[in-house]
Amino acid sequence: MSVQEKLRSKPQWGSGFGQFACWVAAAVVSAVCLSIIGYLVFQGWHSLSWKFFTTDPSESMREGAGGGVRVPIVGTALLIVLAVLVMFPIAVGAATYLSEYMDESSWFTRVVRTGLEVLASVPSVVFGMFGLALFSMPIFTFLSSSGAEGASQAFGRSFLVAAIVMGVHVLPFVIKVSEESIRAVPVSYRRGAHALGITKWRSIRKVVLPAAAPGIVTAVILGMGLIAGDTAIVWLLLGGTTTMGASNWWAPSQFLQVLRGTGATLTTYIFFNSPAGDGNSPQLAYAAALVLVVLVLALNVIASIVGRRRKRQGS
Amino acid sequence: MSSSELAAAPGADRSLKRVDLASASGSRWSESVMPLLLASAAIFSGLVVTLVVFFVAYNAVPTFRAEGLSFITRGGWDTQINNAFTPSKTVFFGAEPLLIGTLLSTVGAVLVSLVLGTGCAIFLSELAPAAIRRPFESLVQLLAGIPSVVFGLVGLSIVVPFIQNYVVPANAANVVPEIPIEGASLLAAITVLSFMILPFFVTVAVDSLRAIPRSYVDGGLALGMTKWRTITRIQVPAAAPGLVAGLVLAAARATGEAIAVSMVAGAIAFSPNLNHGPLYMLLMPIRTIASSIVETGGDAMSIPSIASALFALATLLLLFSLILSLGARWAFAWFNKRMGVRQAGGVQT
Repeated sequence: MSVQEKLRSKPQWGSGFGQFACWVAAAVVSAVCLSIIGYLVFQGWHSLSWKFFTTDPSESMREGAGGGVRVPIVGTALLIVLAVLVMFPIAVGAATYLSEYMDESSWFTRVVRTGLEVLASVPSVVFGMFGLALFSMPIFTFLSSSGAEGASQAFGRSFLVAAIVMGVHVLPFVIKVSEESIRAVPVSYRRGAHALGITKWRSIRKVVLPAAAPGIVTAVILGMGLIAGDTAIVWLLLGGTTTMGASNWWAPSQFLQVLRGTGATLTTYIFFNSPAGDGNSPQLAYAAALVLVVLVLALNVIASIVGRRRKRQGS
Repeated sequence: MSSSELAAAPGADRSLKRVDLASASGSRWSESVMPLLLASAAIFSGLVVTLVVFFVAYNAVPTFRAEGLSFITRGGWDTQINNAFTPSKTVFFGAEPLLIGTLLSTVGAVLVSLVLGTGCAIFLSELAPAAIRRPFESLVQLLAGIPSVVFGLVGLSIVVPFIQNYVVPANAANVVPEIPIEGASLLAAITVLSFMILPFFVTVAVDSLRAIPRSYVDGGLALGMTKWRTITRIQVPAAAPGLVAGLVLAAARATGEAIAVSMVAGAIAFSPNLNHGPLYMLLMPIRTIASSIVETGGDAMSIPSIASALFALATLLLLFSLILSLGARWAFAWFNKRMGVRQAGGVQT
């Protein structure tokens, strides 16, 4: 039997069945994805009201008495801003160094890249434990409150602590996407700058980074989505509560107390009010989940719009 | 971009002037300091993981020193945690059921997403008509963006009641008297985890299918193979290392998932067994390593023995993620070598 005959000898129905199975797999995944969204809209829609967004959560065990999401939304926004402040300079610096300065074959590069790969695979709950271990040390009391009366340890749970750990958590992802966009800047840009007599750092700052900016912004926005969606770090490092630790948190004079205090995010609100948590308001959990999914979705859409702008510019 | 646009690149002409006119000392200063700053950012990002390992493992030392290997071979986690709240008692912890729960749920989810995900990846890269491809791609990305707590919430509201009403046999309580069979189970955990990790597998799988040189496919077609035969006999085998790498990354996510699993898996440290057949094994509640940390961590962390036991669990998770990420790296290297690609290494998330 020749090779051709061997290859043809398989009956035709196998091909039809295999292709059908692939279509079914795609249909199942689409159906699951759409039904998750549909279910949240269906269950959460009628709980969305002005009142839902303007009242604070209450840790009540009574059904449906979980309150609104004002503080959790503020908490999510605050955490995103702080974590981006921590992560952005490190991520852009590391991405620039990795793509512009580093020699791919050196052992140093290999160590850094391996470290980043391992960091990317560390589960967020382990980051939470790491945060507790590190920031409970007495010298970090300034980042959180001093814990229980007479305790020798810091409390280790605050917006500052959560933001630092969250920043490290999304660091590998943001570095990876930023580095790709810096590498995508055409070599002709660098050569052009070089030919004009511009030094390396100036050409990076004035030519390469501006050209890569849309890609870096995309990376940061996607990272913001990851921060908004994470629960384990927040649950361990923000106190596992649904309220703001500092009283009168809206007052500017309380700002530092808020940063050093515990708090809530949309994810902890959902967890607390879900049937698995202590609260007993699943309807409110659906509504908050809808808000969270819309937020993450909006961030992804913005990121892809910015990313498309980069592609148009680059071509 | 053409060279005329290069001149118009923001800041390009201005920096030329600045370089000519600026005093040399200023620019020389930033020229030597900035690379150092960037290098320190890179060093920090590359080495911060050693800090994570150190602090987690250091705090786990008391547990491992007291128990050694029996920490992962002994059972009874739930009662031990309860006992540890009584200060006078000396408690030894046994995380064997958590380990079993983690392994079973991860393996199950990886198998399901291997089957479904390979189908989706072939569909996306080869079969889908152009009109469907883009919307389906966005749907997969949407699935990747759904936060884990939302997966847990939906799993708890749909999957768990469904299993309880339609899968659990009516006489379950008589058949398995030792443990409640109430829907929150290994099966629910596998279902939820499968769809959580699927998008990550599909993304990597599609990338590796698309990276196969066009000549491979052309060669198959020239030999008279049908399109489907080129897919199953040439493209999928050639992309196999890429699929393996994607699967390993997906497994890493499943191992570390805490919140969603803790919501749907029943939160009872029980090792599912085959004593009552495979169906009942799937219907038994489990508790995983990662979910125990969020369930017990919190106020209980003020008790040193519990805190150390939880750090020991986190150390186990770190060990898994180290093995899995190095495994994925090895698989990617294998793939690139096979495809003849000399690619700059990168972090795969």
